[in-house]
Amino acid sequence: MAGPSVKLPDFLARLAESPCCAAITSDAHLEAALASTVSTLFILRGDGLELRPVVRRIHAAGKLVAVHLDLIDGLRPDRTAIAWLARAGVDAVISSHGQLMPAVRRENMVGIHRLLLTRRGLLDSGLSAVTRSGADIVEVLPGVILPDVRALLPRLDVPLLAGGFIRTEMEARAVLAAGAVGVTTSTESLWAARLV
Amino acid sequence: MEVGILLRDLDLMTLISVAEAGSEGIAVDLDSVDGLNADNAGARFVMGRLGVRVVMTRRPALAAFVADAGCLGLVHVLAFDSTGLTRALENHPDRQGVGTVISPGPVLSHLTAGDLERLPRPIVAYGLIDTPGRARQLLTIADSVVVGPDCARGLVEGARVNR
Repeated sequence: MAGPSVKLPDFLARLAESPCCAAITSDAHLEAALASTVSTLFILRGDGLELRPVVRRIHAAGKLVAVHLDLIDGLRPDRTAIAWLARAGVDAVISSHGQLMPAVRRENMVGIHRLLLTRRGLLDSGLSAVTRSGADIVEVLPGVILPDVRALLPRLDVPLLAGGFIRTEMEARAVLAAGAVGVTTSTESLWAARLV
Repeated sequence: MEVGILLRDLDLMTLISVAEAGSEGIAVDLDSVDGLNADNAGARFVMGRLGVRVVMTRRPALAAFVADAGCLGLVHVLAFDSTGLTRALENHPDRQGVGTVISPGPVLSHLTAGDLERLPRPIVAYGLIDTPGRARQLLTIADSVVVGPDCARGLVEGARVNR
C-alpha cells in the first residue's frame, strides 16, 4: 500500500483554518470561488482533459484543488487518469472507487473516498470499502444528515468531510460539530462564512 | 396507521413464494430482485402474475410503465446533493400514478420547501431511518416511510398508545 501523501498535512491544515470548501459545478462558480476566501476548491464538473490552466489559476490564487474523477468529463476512473491529474498539478482526487486510492497516494495526491449514505444494509459494505481503500480522507454524502446518522457510523481512523445539501451556516456548523473536519458546498454565501 | 411490506434484496423464487402468500400491502424494489430484470417484462410479471400493486425502481420510464398498468410506480431517487437531485427530477415522469422514493430518508428534513414542491407525490422516505421518533418526524413530510422491523414495531406501538 502507498504511504501517506505528502500533501495531506497541508490539506488538513487548510481545512482546519477554513473548513468550508467550494464545490464547483460551473464556470461562474469557479470565478466566484477564486474571488472568495475559500482555501480549497472541489471541481465536480468540467473537462478533465483541459484542467491544467484551471489548476494553475487556482494555485495562483493561493488555493488548493481537488478533482472528482468520477464526475468530470473525458477521464476514465483508472490509474492512467490519476497520473494525468497528478501531472496537471491537482492536489487531491475524489472518487467512489476505493481501489484507486493507493494509486492516488502513490502520485502524492490526497485520496478522498466518497461514502454514500443510503440505507443501513449498504452501510456496512460501504464502510468496509472505505477501510480497505486506505483513503486519506472520507467524504460522506449527503453530508447534511451526518448529525442525524453519526450514531450509526463507527469511529473511523481517517478525517471526515461532508458534502451534499449543506446550504446554511447552521447546517455547516452542525456537520462540523458532528465530527467532520470540513464541508463542501456549492452555496456561495457559505464560502465566506467564518465557521471556526 | 397503514402498514405494508417492501420486498427487496431477495431472489425471484423467494419473491414468488412471499407474494403467493398474499400480495396485499406489498411493494417490490424491482432493481434488487436476483433473477428478475428491471424492465417492462419484469414489472409485468410482478404486477400481473404476483398481484403486486406498488413497484419501486430507479428507472423513470419503468415507473411510468407501472403507472400505465394502473399500479403505483415509484422512482427511487438517491439524493446525495442538490445537483444530483435536480438531475434525477429532470427525468421523473411527473404524472399521475408515479411517486418518488427518496434515499436516504433523513435528507427530506433538510430539503427546502421549493425542493419538496418539485417531488412528485406520493413521497416515500427510505433508508437510515433508525428510530420511531425520526420516522414520525419524516411522516410529517413524506406520505410513507420504509423502516426496519424494530423501528416498525415501535411506530405501531406508538400509534396504538396514541389512539
